Amino acid sequence: MSVRLAGDAIVLEGPCRVEDAEPLLRWLQEKPGRVVDLTDAEHLHTAVFQVLLALRPTIRGEGKDTFVRDWMVPLLSAAQAPGAARTEG
Amino acid sequence: MDDLLQHFVVEARELVQQASDDLLNMEREPSVAAHLDGAFRAVHTLKGSVGLFDFAPMGLALHAAEDLLGALKGAPARIDADVIDLLLDCVGQTERWVSAIEQTGVLPPDAADEGYRLARALRSQLEGEAAPDGPAIADADGGWIEDLLAAGSRRAERTPNSLTLTAIRYTPRADCFFAGDDPLALLRSVPDLVHVRASHQAPWPPAAEIDPFACNLRLEALSSAGYEAVKAVFRFVPDQVVIYDVTGYEAAAGVEAGRDGSATRERRSATAGTSRTLRVDAARIDRLADLVGEMVIAKNGLAHIAAMGDGSAAREDLVRSVAACQATIDRLVADMHRAVMDVRMMPMREIFRRFPRAVRESAGQLGTLVEFSMEGEDVEADKSVTEGLAEPLLHVLRNAVAHGAEPEEVRLAAGKPSEVRIILRARREGDRLVVEVSDDGRGIDPERVRRAARERGLAPADRITLMSDAEVTDLIFAPGFSTASDVTDLSGRGVGMDAVRSAIERLGGQVAVQSRPGHGTTIRFSLPLTVVMTKVMTVRVGSETYGIPIEGVLETAYLPTSHIIPIQGAEAFVLRDRTVPLVRLADLLRIPRARDREGGTKVLVMWVGDERVGIAVDGFAGRIDILMRPMAGLLASLPGVIGTTLMGDGSVLMILDIPELIG
Repeated sequence: MSVRLAGDAIVLEGPCRVEDAEPLLRWLQEKPGRVVDLTDAEHLHTAVFQVLLALRPTIRGEGKDTFVRDWMVPLLSAAQAPGAARTEG
Repeated sequence: MDDLLQHFVVEARELVQQASDDLLNMEREPSVAAHLDGAFRAVHTLKGSVGLFDFAPMGLALHAAEDLLGALKGAPARIDADVIDLLLDCVGQTERWVSAIEQTGVLPPDAADEGYRLARALRSQLEGEAAPDGPAIADADGGWIEDLLAAGSRRAERTPNSLTLTAIRYTPRADCFFAGDDPLALLRSVPDLVHVRASHQAPWPPAAEIDPFACNLRLEALSSAGYEAVKAVFRFVPDQVVIYDVTGYEAAAGVEAGRDGSATRERRSATAGTSRTLRVDAARIDRLADLVGEMVIAKNGLAHIAAMGDGSAAREDLVRSVAACQATIDRLVADMHRAVMDVRMMPMREIFRRFPRAVRESAGQLGTLVEFSMEGEDVEADKSVTEGLAEPLLHVLRNAVAHGAEPEEVRLAAGKPSEVRIILRARREGDRLVVEVSDDGRGIDPERVRRAARERGLAPADRITLMSDAEVTDLIFAPGFSTASDVTDLSGRGVGMDAVRSAIERLGGQVAVQSRPGHGTTIRFSLPLTVVMTKVMTVRVGSETYGIPIEGVLETAYLPTSHIIPIQGAEAFVLRDRTVPLVRLADLLRIPRARDREGGTKVLVMWVGDERVGIAVDGFAGRIDILMRPMAGLLASLPGVIGTTLMGDGSVLMILDIPELIG
């Protein structure tokens, strides 16, 4: 499993696949304040990325891969910044 | 040009035509929804196929036209001449772009500006009443490109490979995850990304209702890789992605970058060649296939006859079988020839379709009211004839609008309707095609023509005086003739009726004019339905070149002078144990005979009646396919000449009838 719960954080590791989207979504729905840790993420499947973009949790880490670091994380941070306080739950 | 592009050009032409047909119908009958629907569909489809290529300006303009048409669906009352003009303008520009693409493979350099201009004009109609004074809001479609360029420009400047720029808008289908797609994985494989944006297609639902397996993302990106490289990445999802080459766009989008795509454009245009395509009714191809099938059977019959040749069959049987087989093959070859000619048949509709728009444009520019109608669109002629008619007809139609039409008040005073009636008709008369353009305008005044002909010295003054009115009227086809005192943008561009006549004559046809002053003019073209090419061999005699139909030539040979046998004042030679009379072409034509050079002469061996005859010539020039024109008028009685043809250099080649010359 490339998605796991570590305390109050959801950790995404390695290449995250489409099936990771569901547990990620469930955990964020349960507790909208959870931080998502991308430090060891290598690729995010679109389904996973979409959950993060829709729910805008706080993101930690920059990812292990240049695409994640250069494009995905900035997009998630940009989306999250203005809306962090308004996150629907 | 690759197949896809070739296909696009053919299809785009049809869609452009469809769109302008429907737009013209819309103008006439604004309340008929079918016309608007038709125009919308054509523009929509066109826009869709444009999206497959890097023709962004065309896409922008068409998208705006599509939106405008879409808006008109809800408000048919807004359909007026201005809106139609604008839409026709867009369609007309698209047609010119398609022609440019056909020739060079790319859009012309000014396309970006033009595309934006059209899109803005169309969108201003769209916003029209809603926000008449409001600032122009970014185009719905062009907007994302501009935004992307603005956002990506800072990064773009830093990248070394900044010559090209490609914009991508990827809208994955909602169920794409189930198909195994990972849109972001695709995006990450796009080379040289300079900017990426992600947004939602539909607003996100509350967190509890999010479906993690329905894709709701829209991805937009800029890449400094070439269009082709980017397109290759998305080759499996072409329906979900829009890719534009926005290399030339910075200027239009207001982004400072100073790149220039013209170098790459020129390189590409140099390699792109033009090609000819033919759209053919499938039934005709089926007919050809059937004939080939029968041909194979006939060929197998030959094999059977060959097997009979081992001596077992009686000679009469063999001869009878060969004759039967020969008859079958003969029939099949004739059928096949006809079928192939049929494939080349093209209905007039293909060229007539574009005329309503052209006539409307001309009339609009001159402020003339015109009622234009066409008949005989289904009449077919060989592709070369049909296509060859387009330009001359266009010229004649424009003339009818520009010169035939008299001012409205003159018409009303003469008891005619205020709209000039122009009718284009095509019909078959035996094996000829007749195409006419008639107007009910002012007609041609023979006195005016007479005066102009004298002034321009088209013929000696006394001859002009003696000419009948009909003969004088014919002078409008003379080179250098033009009675229009005011040169308009439409006619008078140095292309006169003489150009029309020569174009028709090149197709083997004739032009005639009939006119009644005050009642109108009819210009009539009469042409062969097919252009039959004749193969001729060109030979030199002295300083002259003549053509001889190749079907009569058995062989060519070189004959040393020592082999020529004088027989009672005539000459002969021996060819494969037969004595063949030798005739000098120079003697037949009564021109001075050149001395045999290098101790010999060149000889054509031909059938004359039942006899082989050698024809001595000075040299063989080559073989050519020509369109032979029968001799007409005074020359018709010239013996020994079957016809003439115009050579590429403008000289006239006479085609000789050798048997008649010898006869």
